[in-house]
Amino acid sequence: MKYIINCLACLLLVFITGCSKDNKDAPNATINGKVVFENQPLGLRSNGVQLELWQPGYQLFSKIPVHIDQDGTFSAQVYDGSYRLTMLRGSGPWADKTDSIVVDVKGTASIDFPVDPFFVIKNANFVKAGNNINATFNLQRVNTTKNLELVRIYVGQTIITDQTNNAGTAQKAAAVITDLSQPVTLTVPVPSSLSAKDFVFVRVGVKTVGVAELLYSLPVKIAMK
Amino acid sequence: MFLCLFLFSCKKDWLQRESKSLILEEQVWNDPKQITSLLANFYDRLPSDIGLTDLTDPSDGRYSDGRYTQWRNMADYDEGMWSGQSNQDGRNNLTSYATDRWLLWNYSLVRDINLTIENIEKLGTALDAPTKLQFTSELRFLRAFNYFQLVKRMGGVPIITNQLIYDYSGEASSLRHPRNKEAEVYNFIDSELEAIKNTLGNVSTNSNPPAASNSRANKYTALALKSRAMLYAASIAKYNALLTPSLTTAGGEVGIPAAMANGYYQKSLDASLELINSGVFSLSANPANPALGFYEAVTKKSGNKEVIFVKDFLTAKDKRHNFSYDNIARGIREDNLSSSSISPSLNLVEASDFLDGSPGVLKNKLPNNSDYIYYDNPGDIFQNKDGRTGGTILYPGSSFKGSTIEMLAGVMVWNGSTYQVVEGTQLGAVWGGAAYPTGDGKLLTGSSGPHRTIQEVSNTGFYLRKYIDEASLSSTRGVRSDIWWVWFRLGEIYMNATEAAFELGQTSVALTHINKLRERAGFPANSLTTLTLDKIISERWVELAFEDHRLWDLIRLRKAHTTWTGVSSNPASVVSALYPYRIIRPGDAARNGKYVFEKITAPRFRAPRFFQMQNYYTFIPQNIIDNNPLIVRNPLQ
Repeated sequence: MKYIINCLACLLLVFITGCSKDNKDAPNATINGKVVFENQPLGLRSNGVQLELWQPGYQLFSKIPVHIDQDGTFSAQVYDGSYRLTMLRGSGPWADKTDSIVVDVKGTASIDFPVDPFFVIKNANFVKAGNNINATFNLQRVNTTKNLELVRIYVGQTIITDQTNNAGTAQKAAAVITDLSQPVTLTVPVPSSLSAKDFVFVRVGVKTVGVAELLYSLPVKIAMK
Repeated sequence: MFLCLFLFSCKKDWLQRESKSLILEEQVWNDPKQITSLLANFYDRLPSDIGLTDLTDPSDGRYSDGRYTQWRNMADYDEGMWSGQSNQDGRNNLTSYATDRWLLWNYSLVRDINLTIENIEKLGTALDAPTKLQFTSELRFLRAFNYFQLVKRMGGVPIITNQLIYDYSGEASSLRHPRNKEAEVYNFIDSELEAIKNTLGNVSTNSNPPAASNSRANKYTALALKSRAMLYAASIAKYNALLTPSLTTAGGEVGIPAAMANGYYQKSLDASLELINSGVFSLSANPANPALGFYEAVTKKSGNKEVIFVKDFLTAKDKRHNFSYDNIARGIREDNLSSSSISPSLNLVEASDFLDGSPGVLKNKLPNNSDYIYYDNPGDIFQNKDGRTGGTILYPGSSFKGSTIEMLAGVMVWNGSTYQVVEGTQLGAVWGGAAYPTGDGKLLTGSSGPHRTIQEVSNTGFYLRKYIDEASLSSTRGVRSDIWWVWFRLGEIYMNATEAAFELGQTSVALTHINKLRERAGFPANSLTTLTLDKIISERWVELAFEDHRLWDLIRLRKAHTTWTGVSSNPASVVSALYPYRIIRPGDAARNGKYVFEKITAPRFRAPRFFQMQNYYTFIPQNIIDNNPLIVRNPLQ
């Protein structure tokens, strides 16, 4: 009996003292940033687009994936140190670039990550008209290596409204949009599942040929009542 | 003492005896029987995404030797969903496909094959040259087959054709090999198959036409693999550049130049035609009952002239599986547990045409949607449907194993202005008795469902027929089933020929082959006169459902991300169901007692299928890159 108690006491000792040693603190530094074009954040699909964070100087290393939110912001919890932030090729609706941005983290770091998008949406304006929502916006062509495929309007119940999460969409193909200097209009009916709600969220997206992700306007809340 | 010495010292080497428990290298590599049993091990280790068995390693989802076939994956795409025990309901709730979902890196099998080839060459001195050549050819076929499994998941992988042996020098970097180009791996498969196809053996020329083994590789198996692999390479070359141009790597490890497409299509077509014209195989048909004919073409083992290469099972040797136990229709199950795990989708049923050539959308409501269409019998809505539908699935009113599948979701009671839907809480419930005092005492819920919530009963209104054993007691845990898994059959080769010919502009050749398959399914001769790629894709789906094709076809044609978009309003991403109801409407003889059908999203199906760009090429795990920094990442990784 005494032996068992001794054993338990030993184990207890190990449990109490064992933890503090050899354990690293959790990452305590934060990198905050946003993806920008002309100092304006770009709207994206939540959980769709990724950047990569690399920390050189070790024999074996792997990337820290940094997912971008729907409003173009991102954040990562890391250790203090010097990192390199770079694009994941083919991930976002912008031209690939192999340059990386050096991020020195001490406590916090805040960075803007400039990109070279194919198209951006400007002056997006949404008006509720009866049971429809009308959007008016300008398309600006930035990087001209790829062509326009379509523009699409999304209506959804939450601020995360995009290609994957939406209750209703309408679209216009590139063939219809002949003059980019003129504003583009789109109309989407509010689906019956949302028409009784107090508000809905809408945004428009632009798709480039051969690029999976769309570039969106920032989500706008429209009061239904 | 002296006597002893004289007695025992005579025999030389008396103390050197052959071990009873150890086999020496020389004994293995000189004994055709032992090499054959080694081959059986390699055949058994060929991986597939879906199969009939249940091989999943609990830690990382696959056996360390790469052995991996999982029948439950049939529930993960749009062919079907999970209706079995609720602990696997996650298959109905896949919000997206994991980036390592189709991971395969089974160089353990490649190494074992390379080792065998080298040792037969080096140590097999007692084997005669033709035997050696046959074994080596067979091993090279298995290696090519495995590289095909690797390349379709991972893109280009390092081609290793000899053993990599560490010399204990402390420096292992010479063993590192970079990834080959995706096109190089397909070219390797092509050249290997060309080199060995005439030396594989396993064909008996005693009969005319010759009889080929369908469980061991032979010339026709090699042609079948070539037909499929070259088609994959061709469609990746063509459609990757067209639809997903960002899926390439700088070194060509992923992405095949579009200019190579036609060459691959031609190679695939040539292999398909050589196989079809050899006359060794024929489409098995049953004009009186096309559904039964199609079922037997895949499943019947004796005298089957259609299958080219199978993974065979045999009850007598205790090589059996539980597929029938897990998937037989609920109402005719013979065990007291399981059944109904995979239930086929309405999507698949509607992909096949009606025999008059009209699109296969089931007619459950009037064209203006004002009322249901009332059918006399639950099976009538499927009348004149493509025979392959009835051969692949069981629907309300089908008969299987001598029983009729009784399916009814509930009754619809007319209350003067609209129908009130009543569904039972248990299978076989009756519309009457104490629970429903106004009822007529007739059936409320079929013995085979469908039911919205009960587990182990179809959630979609359909059951699987393909690969389900008709033998008595085969759906019990005690007896189990020995239905084979079909790697290749002539039906696929016809579809391969159709697609390759269509892409090469030889539309008449394409039409000839696709129409032969449709004739077997009950269509009149020459039922199709024009072709589109989408038509070929849906015909291919109907022909080859549940045979591990649908996923790979959508991937190689780059249609997966536009088909499974993760949007619940996109019907192709959602598994739909068909629920039959009995009408209670006394006083209206045209409707009372008739059957109507409701199309719904399967109630247990939660998340629309979502295939993203990064799913086209499975991510390479970090530990592989750590071990070999020459390995480059896949796109979007």
